[in-house]
Amino acid sequence: MTTLHSTSTSSRPIPNPAKSLITKLNMGTGTVVGVIFALATYYALKPIPDDPGFYNQQNKALLASMFAWSIGFLIGIGAFIGPFRWLIGKDLTAEEQLYLAGDGQGIKRYFKYCTDHKVVGIQYLVGVMAMLGVGGTMAMMIRTSLAVPGGHFIGATIYNSLVGLHGITMIVAMIIVATGPFGNYIMPIMIGARDMAFPRLNALSWWVLFTAIPVLCSAWFLGGIPTGWTAYAPLSIQAGPGMNAFLATIIIFAVSTAVAGMNITATVVAMRAKGMKWNRVPIFVIGATMSVALAIPAFPTFMLAMVQTATDRVFNTGFYDANVGGSGWLYAHLFWIMGHPEVYVILLPGIAILMEITPVFVRKPLFSFNAAVLGFAGIAGLSVLVWAHHMYISGWTPTLNGPFMVTTEMISVPTGLIFLVLLGTVWRGKPWMKLPMLGMFAVIWNFLIGGITGIYLSDVPADNYLHGSMYVTAHFHYTLMGAALTGAVAGLAYWFPKMTGRMLNERAGYISFWFTQVGFQILFLGMFIAGAEGQPRRVVSFAAMYKYQNMISTFGAYLVGIGFIVLLWAVVHSWRRGVIAPKNPWGAKTLEWTVPYPVPLENFDELPVITTDPYGYGKGN
Amino acid sequence: MSNHDEPDLKPTPGARATNLLKREDVKRTMVFGLIWTAIFVVLGLYAYPKWMPTIMSTDMKAMERIMIAFTVISAPIAGLVLGIATQAITNRHKGDTPPPDGPAVRTNGPVVIIWSVVSGIFCLVAVVWGIAELNTMANAATADAKESIHVEVTGSQWVWSFKYVDQGVESDKLILPIDRPVEFEVTSVDVNHSFWPVQLGVKVDANRLQTTVVHTVPNKLGAIDIKCAELCGLYHAYMETSGEVMTEENFNNWITANGGHKA
Repeated sequence: MTTLHSTSTSSRPIPNPAKSLITKLNMGTGTVVGVIFALATYYALKPIPDDPGFYNQQNKALLASMFAWSIGFLIGIGAFIGPFRWLIGKDLTAEEQLYLAGDGQGIKRYFKYCTDHKVVGIQYLVGVMAMLGVGGTMAMMIRTSLAVPGGHFIGATIYNSLVGLHGITMIVAMIIVATGPFGNYIMPIMIGARDMAFPRLNALSWWVLFTAIPVLCSAWFLGGIPTGWTAYAPLSIQAGPGMNAFLATIIIFAVSTAVAGMNITATVVAMRAKGMKWNRVPIFVIGATMSVALAIPAFPTFMLAMVQTATDRVFNTGFYDANVGGSGWLYAHLFWIMGHPEVYVILLPGIAILMEITPVFVRKPLFSFNAAVLGFAGIAGLSVLVWAHHMYISGWTPTLNGPFMVTTEMISVPTGLIFLVLLGTVWRGKPWMKLPMLGMFAVIWNFLIGGITGIYLSDVPADNYLHGSMYVTAHFHYTLMGAALTGAVAGLAYWFPKMTGRMLNERAGYISFWFTQVGFQILFLGMFIAGAEGQPRRVVSFAAMYKYQNMISTFGAYLVGIGFIVLLWAVVHSWRRGVIAPKNPWGAKTLEWTVPYPVPLENFDELPVITTDPYGYGKGN
Repeated sequence: MSNHDEPDLKPTPGARATNLLKREDVKRTMVFGLIWTAIFVVLGLYAYPKWMPTIMSTDMKAMERIMIAFTVISAPIAGLVLGIATQAITNRHKGDTPPPDGPAVRTNGPVVIIWSVVSGIFCLVAVVWGIAELNTMANAATADAKESIHVEVTGSQWVWSFKYVDQGVESDKLILPIDRPVEFEVTSVDVNHSFWPVQLGVKVDANRLQTTVVHTVPNKLGAIDIKCAELCGLYHAYMETSGEVMTEENFNNWITANGGHKA
């Protein structure tokens, strides 16, 4: 394969194109086959109204047709052609593989089962932006409803559904916000690879995730989900048909992350350029890999939790039904065994992006690479031992409080190392205040607030009061949105020139930055106060004493909304007609800046050989 | 600016510290750090107590103590972090060309060690404090067990009801005598709820077919808000009721007036 040089962007003929099925498959054929599968399944299992088992039948029919849609779509888009041809002993030819990589197909390849990691990266980027847009719109509706007491704007049914759908949409979007676009587009180039270890699995991870999006949207038309994104049993068993969409989404999503996680891990382990020893790997790659490696054990329990909810709903298996020996606590444990590692799955890549950016913009080496790795490893390692701090007030045996409090508070030590690395890198430097660097400073503040409030919440007596209040909502938004999303946006500003060939509009970027960050502080300050004063979270209506706090929050939310609309405009506008970017606009030393735009199909003419780490900035280096 | 980039001939630790303190950026960092520390101390000492509702139990007092203490303890750390960040921002580089090269410092062993040890100590303080509070709570619950009044709390979509077992009274309001330990035995008839008498600073989930217990001692007269802190379906937000902590005498009158008997 090393013979494929820069000519690879040209179109190559497919042998006997009229017969070759792969030239005819795309999103359209996928959708058609998927819908046919779904409808056929639904009518085969059609529930009978007035039947005493209607509830179970309806759940069965809906769940089965959702999975059928997903499988049908994947068949229709040609996801299984490779394995199928291998099975019948007619492996794909080199030309066909090249065709699958989207060679010379222009914009069409973004709508196909394309194995090129750069195409998958852009697919993830657009998909994530769409999800954030939908989730953000829901957040605006929630805040609008909460602007005044009483909850008359949208009513309790819609409000509860919005809370759940906003939650799950944002969680899914945030899990892939950094590792999806940058992990796929940038990371293989960063480590000097021609593609991912398993390009077809890479495409599979995206398209599996894609099939979850219509499923999640269908929740809206099936009566919504009344449970919040935590979907605690027995409420989730009691819930209406919309719940099936939630369950199917998570089960499908867990498959996607498992595939993506294995692929990214394998790529980083096996595909690094010659000479790229572990201590020469860019820190973003380390952080992203630890994040997906953490997801590999975490998400199967998420899937299991949902599969059991589904079987409870379809077959009355009673895993979570105390009447027949089950327990709602079983669900809570399974959910949070995923749920707490998951927040670090979200956080680590965002922080790692900032560590990648900071040395470039202060022209200093990354301060203590080893401390950074240790910090990530410490967080990842401890994060699997802290899940039950979400259950302090569940009424369990008090014996469990102590150990989980200790593990949770211990996370502050590796987190401290993360701060040390970022601050040590800017120390004695002159930070170049471009958009990515502004993001770094914003994250220092946001993550500090998120971290300190996390220490209160980790303490059992304080959590006895604060649990389930708006204070918790404000806390985790500071970490997930204030730190992880800001980090990802900084990454977008940083890598935009490499991914689109154009510079991100700077003025719009600054306007967006200040609106989102200032709005964010106002939004969650109001929520911290309301929570400390005793306003529960997930309430459509609240007492008059929380009036001003909520009004302030809503005002802040609108500022954030404006900020993100400006950012969206900046991205779209700059992508189409921004200033053409030079090859290496920031003067960075990682490998992705050595390749031209558009990045050739196999990234490098000749694979690089690495002799040093990429942080050789500064005097005397 | 001094010539701090050129190493002195084997400076003593004292001389190095003095040189460090003479540096302009170190001075600025310290000033910013002190300002930020002060802000966090003020936040802890004044803002939190102001935001908290009326403290009506020992548990609520413990909770407030933690919020204040942890904020004040973390203030120097926040001060240091934000001091360095603020100093860096004041030293920023503008323009479209990259800034000049900074010093090529790749790590600093003592700094990494000191930073880790100090954050470890802060973590230890938080852990020890938390464990001590847990013990206090557990001991109080055991010590009070005999004289406690027992209230069976039942959550159902979307109301709370209270049953005074020993007194034989049922009510949809939570009435408690002052300074007498109370044990809430909480359960649910449908989905999970979470019993939250706000001003008492305790909370416990109400689970179907399970009884969970939480203990506290109300020590101030006044009204209590009872809320549900776990999303429990359509009217979760409206699953509220009120209550009151009253004198022993008034409580007994209330019991009698509601057809109960003195336990």
